[in-house]
Amino acid sequence: MSATEGFKRHGDHYYIAEFGESEKEVLLNLCEQIIELLAERTDHGHEDPLAAMVGITSHDSPPDDEVLHRLLPNAYSDQVDAAEFRRYTESTLRQKKQAHAISMRIHLKSSDDGIVDLDHDNANAWLGAINDIRLALGVRLKVEKRTQEELELLAPDDPLRGVYGVYTWLGWLQGTLLESLFNDADDDEETELGNS
Amino acid sequence: MMVKLADQLEAEIQAIFSGDTPWVTIVWDDPVNLQTYVVYVFMELFGYSKARATELMLQVHNEGKAIVSSGSREEMEHDVARLHEYGLWATLQRGDQL
Repeated sequence: MSATEGFKRHGDHYYIAEFGESEKEVLLNLCEQIIELLAERTDHGHEDPLAAMVGITSHDSPPDDEVLHRLLPNAYSDQVDAAEFRRYTESTLRQKKQAHAISMRIHLKSSDDGIVDLDHDNANAWLGAINDIRLALGVRLKVEKRTQEELELLAPDDPLRGVYGVYTWLGWLQGTLLESLFNDADDDEETELGNS
Repeated sequence: MMVKLADQLEAEIQAIFSGDTPWVTIVWDDPVNLQTYVVYVFMELFGYSKARATELMLQVHNEGKAIVSSGSREEMEHDVARLHEYGLWATLQRGDQL
């Protein structure tokens, strides 16, 4: 099974990629990890069912888990404002992120030949999901504190070495999808200019 | 570009006279997000041109942060929520407390 060449644009506003069996498995596995991680933050013990129904949670402090904290960050530097905002919006944000990852998983699961074909909205969901996965891996890799050279020089037996490989591969994959989307946008701009 | 600045100025002047302080959305630098991804998100969410989005991305990258939108508190809360959905690190605050 050959390695993917990333995303290519085909037709108007469609983006296609072919993944090898092992690539597909890695991507599916990462999607499922993100979906599960976000589910950990589900508010099971809300005392007010009506509040839970409209998406108000009892969470008013950021997640203790560093990865969840990066995925569900504070909207205000002020702690009181941040807590208030979080109570009313965190569950919606979590559901949107889960929806991105679920969309990516469905595309991969329903593809027998490893080919995925995305429209513009699907492409945005994939971009968001890949980005969340990279954010999660980035926290574990301590990308904030380590330089690129340090990451590239991780010892062969360091378990993080493989993680870094996946992290850079996902960055490359996301880049190919972005490039295809930009090509489309550039073409649209030219068309508009041509018509005016 | 000029139109954008004039619009912004008008909004701020209007805010001064109506007593509403404008709020701003700030995007902070993050070592994970690809530069092209940040440009794309600015274009998709705010309808900015590629040139404008690139300028803002470079400001985030070089200066550590950039104001990407301004308006009422409710509007900025909406912008921050959408930026969080796409994994950008964003906060909002009052424009006069920068």
